[in-house]
Amino acid sequence: MMVDFFIGLFLASLITAIFTTRLFRLLLWYSFNSLTLGILALLIGFKIDDGAMIITGIVTIIIKAVAIPYFLKSFSQKFHFVRQITPNVQTHHAIMLVPAILVFTFYLSQPVTNMMSGNTNYVAVSISSLFLSLMLMMEHKNVAPKIIGFLSIENSLFLLGITATNGMPMLVELGIFFDLLMAIIVINLLFHREGFQGAKDA
Amino acid sequence: MLEFLLLPSIIIFILSFIKSDKVNIPLAFVSFLLVLPVTKLLLMPKPYAILGDYLVADKLSTYVLFVSSVVAIGVALALLTLHKHVKVSKHAYRRFYRFFAIFWVGLIFSILSNHMGIYWIGLELATLSTVYMIRTNHTDAAHKEAWNYMIVGAIAISLILFGIILIYASAKPILGEDAMNFSLLLEHAKEIKSPFLFELGFAITTLGMFVKMGFFPMNLWLSNIERASFYPVAALFSGILESAIIIGFFRFSKIAMVINYDQLFVFVFAYTILTIFIVSFLIFRAKDFIRLFSLSGIEHMALIAMFWTSGAPFAALLHFGAHAFLKPALFLSTGVLESNGKYKIAGALRGYKGFKGSLFWFLVSLFLLAIISLPPSPMFFSELYGFGSMVSVAKESHHLLAMIGAILLLLLFLALIFYKFIEIYQSMKYEGEEGEKKVYLSELLSLVIFAVATASLILPQVMSYIEGIA
Repeated sequence: MMVDFFIGLFLASLITAIFTTRLFRLLLWYSFNSLTLGILALLIGFKIDDGAMIITGIVTIIIKAVAIPYFLKSFSQKFHFVRQITPNVQTHHAIMLVPAILVFTFYLSQPVTNMMSGNTNYVAVSISSLFLSLMLMMEHKNVAPKIIGFLSIENSLFLLGITATNGMPMLVELGIFFDLLMAIIVINLLFHREGFQGAKDA
Repeated sequence: MLEFLLLPSIIIFILSFIKSDKVNIPLAFVSFLLVLPVTKLLLMPKPYAILGDYLVADKLSTYVLFVSSVVAIGVALALLTLHKHVKVSKHAYRRFYRFFAIFWVGLIFSILSNHMGIYWIGLELATLSTVYMIRTNHTDAAHKEAWNYMIVGAIAISLILFGIILIYASAKPILGEDAMNFSLLLEHAKEIKSPFLFELGFAITTLGMFVKMGFFPMNLWLSNIERASFYPVAALFSGILESAIIIGFFRFSKIAMVINYDQLFVFVFAYTILTIFIVSFLIFRAKDFIRLFSLSGIEHMALIAMFWTSGAPFAALLHFGAHAFLKPALFLSTGVLESNGKYKIAGALRGYKGFKGSLFWFLVSLFLLAIISLPPSPMFFSELYGFGSMVSVAKESHHLLAMIGAILLLLLFLALIFYKFIEIYQSMKYEGEEGEKKVYLSELLSLVIFAVATASLILPQVMSYIEGIA
C-alpha cells in the first residue's frame, strides 16, 4: 500500500516538474522525486529483505535528494542563471500531452509487463516516467532544465531497476552513483563557461 | 594486472596537476607507456581473469584494447605540436590530459568487462570525460557542441542502461545476480524464459549504441562535435571511444544471435543500410576534411556491424582494426592540412618540401586511398570477406535475391563515396595554389606509426590472430 502511494508521488512530482516555470522550484520537485525514489528503495528493500537495496535507498536520498539539488542551486546562484524557465510546450498542450504519454506508455509496456512477475504496474510507471523525463528535457531551451531532465531519466531507470528486477547488483548501483557525481563535476565545468559567457554578454 | 593497467592513467592524472610549462613532455611520455601493460596482456594465455568474473581479458577485448593503445600513442605524439597549429593554452593542455586519464580508465573497464553493468559504467565514464575534452577548444561553437554531446550522449547512454535492465530482467529468473555476466548469459541464452523481453532490451541497447556512433538519425551530430573540437579529440573519438562502443555491440549481439538470429539480422541490416544511404549523400556534400572523415567513420562502423551480424567476424574485426588506425591518422593529418587555410580542400596536398613534407603527403595519400578500400588496404580484404559472407548467409536462409539486392544497393552507395574521395584527392593534389607548408617531426612520427600498424594488419600472423578471435 505504501509502495503504491510513493510510486504515485514519484509520478506526480515528475508531472509537476514538467509544468514548472521557475528553476529553483524545478530543483525542489527533482529533490522530492528523488526522495520518493529513495523511500521506495527502502520500502521494497525491507519488504524483500535486501540489504543492498536498503543501502542504495539511503545513498539515493543523500546524493540525489540532498546533494545534487544543493550543488545545482549553488551553481545557478554562482553563475547567475536565468531563473525563469518557460517551457516551449504551452501548458494547455502539455495538459493533453502528459495523459497521452501515460496512456501510450502503459499500452506500449503491456507486452513487457506481461512477462514480469510481481506488480507489473510499477514497471509501466517507470517506463512512463522515462518518456515524461524525455519530454522535460525536450520542452526547454535552457541548459539547467535539460540537466534536470537527464537526472530524471536516471531516476526513472533506477525505478525500473528496482521494480523490474528487484534491484540491480550493488556494484552496478554504486558505479552509477559514481558516474552521476562525475557528471556533476563536468556540468560544473561547463556551467563555469556558461556563467563567464553570460557575464561577458552583460 | 589491473594495477599495472591503471598505473599510467594514475600518473597522467597526478602529473596534470603540476603547474609547469615543461610538464607536457612527461605527460606525453607516460601516455606512450599505456601500451606496455596492454602488450603484456596480449602475450598472456586467454581468457585471463583480471578481476574475478567482472574483468576478463579474452582475445577479442585484448585485440580492441591493443588497437586503442596504439591510437593513444599516435594521439599523444600529435598533441606535442598541437599549439603550433591551433591556439591552445598550457592550462587547457593539462586539463585535456587529466580527462584523458579518466577516459582511459573508463575504456579499460568497458573493453575488458565481462559484466553488462561494469561495461555501462566504464562507457559512461569515458563519455563524460570526453565532454570536457571537447571544451579544451575555447570557442563558442565547441562550448555549444560540448553541451550537445553531454545531452545527446546522456540520452544514448540512458537507452543503453534501459536495454541492459530489460536484458537483466529477462535472465534474472534463471541466473540470479549473475544475469549481468556476458559469458554466463551466452552459455544459458537458450534457457531464457522470456526471449521477447531480451530482444526488446537488445534492440534498445543497440539503438543507444548506434546513436552514440552517429548512425541514423543522428548522422550530423557526431561530425558537428568533431568539427568544433580540436583534431586530436576527433581522433580519440573515432579510434578509441567507438571501439569501446562496438565491442559492446559485439558482446550483446553474440547472445542475440543464439536467441533470435533472424530478428537481429533484419534489425541491424535495415538500420545500417539506411545509415549508409544517408551518409553516402552527406559525404557527397561534405566541404571540409573533419566532416568528411567523420561521416566516413560512420559508414565504416555501419559496415563493421553489418559484417559481424552476417556471420563474418573476421571481416568485421579486420575492418575495425583498419578503421581504428586509418581514421585517427587522417584526423591528425588535418592539423597540418587545415592550419594552412581552414576548409580549403584544393591544393591541401601541395607545397610540402623536403623529406618530411614529401613523406607527409605520401602518407596522407596512402591513408586516403586505403580508406576507400583500394588494394592492398586491409579494408579491401575485409569488404571482400564481408560481402562473401553475406551471400553465404543468404544462400542458407533462402533470401538470396533480397541479399543480392542489398549488396548492389550497398555497392552503389560505396561507389558514390569512392567517387567523392577520388575527386577530393585530385583536388588536394592537382588544384589550388602552392604555398609553403610545415610538418613537424612528432606528427609525422605519429602518421608513420599508424601506417605501420595498418600495414601490419595484412601480415599472415596478424590475420591468423584475428581469425583466432573470430
